[in-house]
Amino acid sequence: MPLIDPVTMSSSLTKGGAQLPTAKGKDAPSSEPTIQPIQIKPTPVAQAARHVFPLLLASLFALQFRPLVADPVSTMLTSLPVVALLQLAYVLVCLPAAGSQGGGASTASGKQKTGRKVRPGEKKKGMGGGAAAELVGPNAPVASILSLVLSVLAIPPLYIAFVCFGAPLYTLVAHTGLCAAHLAVLSLFPLFYVHGVDGGAWRAVGAFQAPFDEVFGGFVGAFVGAWLGAVPIPLDWDRDWQRWPVTILCGLYGGCLLGRVLGGSLFWGKRVA
Amino acid sequence: MAPPANLTKNKAPAPPDYKTIKKQFDAAKRAKAAQDAEQETTAVVDDEQARLRDRHKAALKIARKKSFEARWAWTAGFWLWMLCIHIVAIAYFTSGFLLTRLMLDEKSVCDAPPTLNASGPVDLLPAWNGKGTPDGGCWHPRTFQRAVIVLIDALRYDFTVPVGDGARFHDALPFMYKTSVASPEKAFLRPFIADPPTSTLQRLKGLTTGTLPTLADLGSSFAGTAIEEDNILMQLRDAGRRMVHLGDDTWESLFPGYFVGNLSHPEDSFNVWDLHTVDNTVMKHIFPLMDRTEDWDLLVAHCLGVDHAGHRYGPDHDEMTAKLRQMDAFIQDLTAKIDDDTLLIVMGDHGMDAKGDHGGESDDEVESALWMYSSRPIFGRTKSEFVEPPATAKIRPVNQIDLVPTLSLLLGIPIPFNNLGRPIEEAFAGPKGTAWDMLAAAERTTAAGIRRYQASYSAARGSDQAETPGSPAALWAKAESTYVKVAGQKKADWAAVHSAFAEYQAATLKKCKSLWAKFDLKSMAIGIVVMASGVITLLVYVNRDGDDDEEAIDDPELDLAEQSLQLLGHKPNAEDTAVQLEKTLVAAAMFGAFPFLLGGALQALHSGTGDWYRGVPFASLVSIVAVLVRLFEAQETIPSVFPKTAWGWMAVIFTLSQSIGFASNSYTIWEDSILLFFLTTFGVVSALTALRLPTLTQRTLGTFHSVVFILLGRLASVSKLCREEQMPYCTSTYYASATSSTSAPWQLVIPFLISLSLPTIIKGFLTPSRSYHGLAPGYINYAFRFGLFLAGVYWILDAADSGNWFPSLREKLLKNISVYLAQMILGTALVAGTTAFIWAPPSVAVVTTAEAGQTTKAKVAILGWGNAHGARYLFLLLNILTACFLLSKPMGGGALGLFTWQILSLLEILDLNSLTTSSPIGPTMLALLGTFHFFTTGHQAALATIQWDSAFIPLFTIRYPWSPLAVALNTLAGPIVATAAVPLVALWKTDPHRKGLLEKVSRALGVFVVYFAVEALATMAWAGHLRRHLMLYRVFSPRFMLASLVLVVVDIAGIVVALAGVRVNTLAVGDVFGWPSG
Repeated sequence: MPLIDPVTMSSSLTKGGAQLPTAKGKDAPSSEPTIQPIQIKPTPVAQAARHVFPLLLASLFALQFRPLVADPVSTMLTSLPVVALLQLAYVLVCLPAAGSQGGGASTASGKQKTGRKVRPGEKKKGMGGGAAAELVGPNAPVASILSLVLSVLAIPPLYIAFVCFGAPLYTLVAHTGLCAAHLAVLSLFPLFYVHGVDGGAWRAVGAFQAPFDEVFGGFVGAFVGAWLGAVPIPLDWDRDWQRWPVTILCGLYGGCLLGRVLGGSLFWGKRVA
Repeated sequence: MAPPANLTKNKAPAPPDYKTIKKQFDAAKRAKAAQDAEQETTAVVDDEQARLRDRHKAALKIARKKSFEARWAWTAGFWLWMLCIHIVAIAYFTSGFLLTRLMLDEKSVCDAPPTLNASGPVDLLPAWNGKGTPDGGCWHPRTFQRAVIVLIDALRYDFTVPVGDGARFHDALPFMYKTSVASPEKAFLRPFIADPPTSTLQRLKGLTTGTLPTLADLGSSFAGTAIEEDNILMQLRDAGRRMVHLGDDTWESLFPGYFVGNLSHPEDSFNVWDLHTVDNTVMKHIFPLMDRTEDWDLLVAHCLGVDHAGHRYGPDHDEMTAKLRQMDAFIQDLTAKIDDDTLLIVMGDHGMDAKGDHGGESDDEVESALWMYSSRPIFGRTKSEFVEPPATAKIRPVNQIDLVPTLSLLLGIPIPFNNLGRPIEEAFAGPKGTAWDMLAAAERTTAAGIRRYQASYSAARGSDQAETPGSPAALWAKAESTYVKVAGQKKADWAAVHSAFAEYQAATLKKCKSLWAKFDLKSMAIGIVVMASGVITLLVYVNRDGDDDEEAIDDPELDLAEQSLQLLGHKPNAEDTAVQLEKTLVAAAMFGAFPFLLGGALQALHSGTGDWYRGVPFASLVSIVAVLVRLFEAQETIPSVFPKTAWGWMAVIFTLSQSIGFASNSYTIWEDSILLFFLTTFGVVSALTALRLPTLTQRTLGTFHSVVFILLGRLASVSKLCREEQMPYCTSTYYASATSSTSAPWQLVIPFLISLSLPTIIKGFLTPSRSYHGLAPGYINYAFRFGLFLAGVYWILDAADSGNWFPSLREKLLKNISVYLAQMILGTALVAGTTAFIWAPPSVAVVTTAEAGQTTKAKVAILGWGNAHGARYLFLLLNILTACFLLSKPMGGGALGLFTWQILSLLEILDLNSLTTSSPIGPTMLALLGTFHFFTTGHQAALATIQWDSAFIPLFTIRYPWSPLAVALNTLAGPIVATAAVPLVALWKTDPHRKGLLEKVSRALGVFVVYFAVEALATMAWAGHLRRHLMLYRVFSPRFMLASLVLVVVDIAGIVVALAGVRVNTLAVGDVFGWPSG
């Protein structure tokens, strides 16, 4: 009884996997973004700095914890420029800018960049001379500033996300906003720096299909940490550190640094199934 | 095969007629068959053979239909069994968990004071005239000849003392405070603390017997059974006193035959809408009675106006001010009529919370007021600073049970046997406040009575009273030795004796409160084990191997092949086993349960104990084991109950973390915020996962629906009613203000907004699958929209009635109109709606096109084929929704509207990510949504948030079973709508050729019920484990009750709404489009 059935035959209106594989097969090149893990620049400075910066951030957070509990808004406000500067230095020293050799930005042109598949710390012969110049190329400061601007632009959406998870809508605005700012600077800024506005790369990051590296690890860690940071808030322990958004910030920093370290070492190159 | 765009515009949609569609479909099919036959090379068709084939086909159709009906019946049977298991588990746990108190038959006797058994001298006071007789005073000198008790229901303590904050419920009832300050020897006012539960019936028991109520009695609040235990009224009756009662008829059911018939005037107590009838009756009849004091000895007048004003409007309302002023004037007038031999008591039985409701144990609910008045100087204060009544109920409160010994001793009757209260100081201290001997005597007599009761109770219960330091027994010994010592002194320090016995009373009361009637751990354990086994069974049931037809479903070739095989007489195996699974499960359950049920019943009959249910727990467990064995037998491999995908893990994490959270009072209190957190988490994950979808359209749609899902949840979460424990971090928005139970004017707009937008939104979800055909436009765009609109009109009328917007209108006119309107809406939604749902054709349109120049080659298309099941089933959801929409307040209606949109978004998300059939995430999210919207519709897991007034939306008075049903639909609107939506997980975007739908629906229902069963199990286990926790009755016990209730309701709705709906739907679709196998 093969009746003509326009609806069934059209793209996606019935369930079941029948049409899915074919569609996937057709769109395969664009739908399965293949982005490569970001490598820390092979320079000795960068290799040293990648360990120093997380330590610096962690000690900054530890030092600021008491003031943070006492007065979250002003502490978050004063520490934000410091964190931003640290992050700025980190991306400039350690990370390849979007579009540069080693940057994970352009996904479609993956083939021509075979030279990228280098283990961290391993010196690649082809990466001398011109390539090295490109690593610290003139676009790096511009890229970092642009990334910072983009991260700032991401604060309002992050604020809305906090509200959607249950943060108050129009009270404690400064608390939530600054928390969103820290999240943006810590997790999104390096991503903007290495991926720019490459839709494919961002899609892979958003869909958790990107391979783990320091940047992606820090991103995932920060969000998961911030999510877990909400857990102690309802408890009736009446502790000062339960104040909004101290726990979120703790989770955020802890998760981000853990994710950055693990993503850069243990899980480097691995993908979520 | 033409592209769809060509076809849609060719012909107007077919008229929404079942037969027309069927006819069109058959005609189209014939045309197609004819066309096919023409094309075939073997053009010669044998007539005989064709007829035979038609007959076969018809027979096959009937066989498949029958097979479906049989399988449906067995599936329903399985769910019925599951319901029984849940009920058994809940009943057993509850019987052990909810405290029960042993009722003792003993009564106090006038000439046998309890001090007879004490070690010290029997009497502390010198003998008085008429000692040992009711006339002179049985155990204590009689002070008053008669008493008038005016009970102002829900009189909160702060209503009676000056506060001066301008609130409408403050400073409106100043008379009692003023008299207490002006003439302290004639009157005193003190906070009067109720023992929860704060329902009137429980309070009256406490106020007359002096015992602590137990939660097990709570259920009888609507039935009202006579008090069998020793109580004040019983003592008065035995002493030959005459009693008169006016007002709330609860007294008549508690004390049947006690009151002088022709003088008493009981009034119906449950009509919350009526603020004045009861009070007017009281005031009309009480004053004549004051002139004929020779006709009665006790007059009980129970006013309900304040309570009803609280329930209906909340305390912060002009009606409350007016009511309190009326009461003030009434008490003032009554006081003027009190003679020297009469005691006047004005008291409340409980308070009310910020919205005017009660039932729980928050401070506002238990803090009531007690005022005693005598026209001659009787009362005293032991300290001068006690003259002014306490500013708040936290200072110098008395327990409500303290009234019992106080009143008994003042009226000269024995203190009821079960009493645990102590005499109130002011009543015995004498006008100068120095009569410590009287106080000590009253205290000692009362304490001796308590001791006698405790001895009897432990003898009956078989426990002993160890005399450890600090125990009541040790305190008693200490008090007696103090007494003996003091009695020998020249200048006796009676105050020391008084405080020693008071200490004993306090310790005993404390012990009784904590230990009252033991938890029956065995029954609780049985309940938990049965519930846990039920959860395991369901987990295995939903995770069993599929029928393996997933791959073949959409392959018409295969279907054709299968059909021809069946035509030749082959019976496919899949169908057989499928029918047999539920059948064998039910058989196994019966087989397991029956012998033990019967055995238990026979044994009970034989031994004459009457506990016919004694075999039930064992029968349940054996039947569960039998079903599990059968489930394992049905497949080769042991199914893994662990999820296989990230989505599955998410469902598990949501369910489990919430269950674990129930161990903490904080997570239980903030459950609404936690649910929002989970819902948003799901939305974010699904928005990100949408990025993995292959096409841009799918990615956009997936992200869009996810974002909508998140935003709707956050928007709905704005509608909330805070529970007391959430303060001060929470703002209630459900009513006009935190101290009101009426809607704000702007909230009345919400139902109209929903009626404007929701049908259009639903249309937007149906149009992409071309399912907005058949009955759908009329049903959704007109009937449903109009139903929502009328519900909005109802709430306008209700607000006009409550707010008295049109004083010129005849009284009750608006109420009459609104009640009939509500009845009409409910009748249309539930009765006519169900009929329409049964009758409705699938929401499809059959379109035939003739391609230009080729008249013989007709092309047939069915618009809406791809969502034939889902689009039609949606009608049922809308019916249920309309009923719940009316019964929820405007704010709740808005939340339910958002809920519906969320359901549709969720279905699209599930469909886009291919999560509809095998993943547990869909039903779990529905369960979370249902629970979430329990909170957004103005409820909390606290007894006080039950919106009792919803019983009066469609009715004038309490009527069974309709009133409880209305309250249930109001309270559990979220879970009920969610249950009705469960089949959509399997039916949405499903075409008529899809096989095994019933099985998929049953699985989805299984996952859905697992969520609620796990929650019930967790709350049970935690409540049992934390049974000595301070917050047991405030937090854990109400959450357990809610979880149990929701589980049972979800089970029932799963059978009556979801499964029955699927049956009707499948039959309707099958009759038009033929039956897929399986």
